[in-house]
Amino acid sequence: MIEIAQIRYRNLFINYLEIPAGITTVIGKNGCGKTSFLRICAGIELPNEGSIFIDGKLPRETECCWVNEFPDRNILFSRVFDEIASPLRFQYFGSDEIDSRVNNIAQFLGISHLLTRNTYELSGGEKMLISFAAALVNSPEMLVLDEYDSHLDYKRNRQIEYAIMNFGYKYVLRCTQHMEVAANSDFLIVLDNGIIKHTGHPNQVFPQLIDSPYYPLSWRVKA
Amino acid sequence: MKVILDKIQYKRLNFSFKAIGEFSEGIHLITGAVGSGKSTLALLIAGYLQPESGNVRRNGIQSMQLSLQFPEYHLTGLTVSDECISWGCNPKSILGLCNLMGKENVSPFSLSRGELKKIHLTCILQKQYDLLLLDEPFSALDCQEKIELCTQLYGHKKGITIIFTHEQTILPKVDYIWELLDGMLYFRGAPPSAIEQWQGAPSLIKKLVKSGMTPRNVSYDEIKEAVCRI
Repeated sequence: MIEIAQIRYRNLFINYLEIPAGITTVIGKNGCGKTSFLRICAGIELPNEGSIFIDGKLPRETECCWVNEFPDRNILFSRVFDEIASPLRFQYFGSDEIDSRVNNIAQFLGISHLLTRNTYELSGGEKMLISFAAALVNSPEMLVLDEYDSHLDYKRNRQIEYAIMNFGYKYVLRCTQHMEVAANSDFLIVLDNGIIKHTGHPNQVFPQLIDSPYYPLSWRVKA
Repeated sequence: MKVILDKIQYKRLNFSFKAIGEFSEGIHLITGAVGSGKSTLALLIAGYLQPESGNVRRNGIQSMQLSLQFPEYHLTGLTVSDECISWGCNPKSILGLCNLMGKENVSPFSLSRGELKKIHLTCILQKQYDLLLLDEPFSALDCQEKIELCTQLYGHKKGITIIFTHEQTILPKVDYIWELLDGMLYFRGAPPSAIEQWQGAPSLIKKLVKSGMTPRNVSYDEIKEAVCRI
């Protein structure tokens, strides 16, 4: 359980919120505080007031991997292999294990052909896949993804969805503007100008958004 | 007014593609997978990259604008106000249109990516261009803003507008559909018949075609209407 109480940070004001384990998606307009919310949950920023506990631990005590929405801000190294290997190298893993984990994740994401390329030569979507691979290779307890999917095509998004669903992360926190992706969550948070408007399972939350473009288009087939 | 891709071929390491085609006035949609060459093609059409062989002819094009996928690559101003001025726009009116009044003196990097994209696109759309190239214009915008942009683009119909995107749900009404597939640019024609030929169509559109409910166009309203007919 992630427990958030009395948070004030930038435009965010959250009185109390409990987030269950599983996939949580934050949706809302541009500038409503989605990224700020994810940043304080990941421990990248500290709130001015209030507390966040992830299973009783502070965000900075939790093994967390973060994928930034600006692809260039994720990348530290100039060769793709080195970028994906970096979280393991920082932890002094042996080179054989690093080779095997990097190759496995690259194969799973269909990016083995990029391993020897320079990171600055990649397309925006490819950069995002490299950042995602670097996050996954570390098998974190919590994965925080800031609008990663806006740079990816349908097939790549499906692959990432599969990884998120099947790699067994206790917590996945993400934000998106693709409501079909958001519908595939255990818990949904709707933010409006820094305030939480709705929370709950997508089946409970989306019906309240039926008159807006936030209602998943494919659900209109069901309706 | 025409853009002609005369047997162009582009190569970079083990990535290559070929393109032949003619873009007339109207809104063209070009789709393709990650790494298929959408941004490269945009740069080639704009003349910022040169093809290995063949050439790009921009006949009768007097003015052109390219919007890059990442709005941060366009930044030249230290404040939001300077940034609007650098596009030849009035900061107050741009921020009014973007509903971001009061942000004149902040750094553009302090905005959310969606807000930055919105300011960038609003500045670009203040002017008419003979050739407007938009690389992933929908990425980072929220659902409401995407719809807003579609309306604006449709109102901007004069000249040639080419949209490069992998957006799946909210698209504008377009005149022609193209796609980059396995290193080749394919022209699929005008909707609705183009929608049936479109191999990389969003999954919902594919589902609609399969159930015999091909939408008249790819716009959000047309798709919504087709979905409701099922």
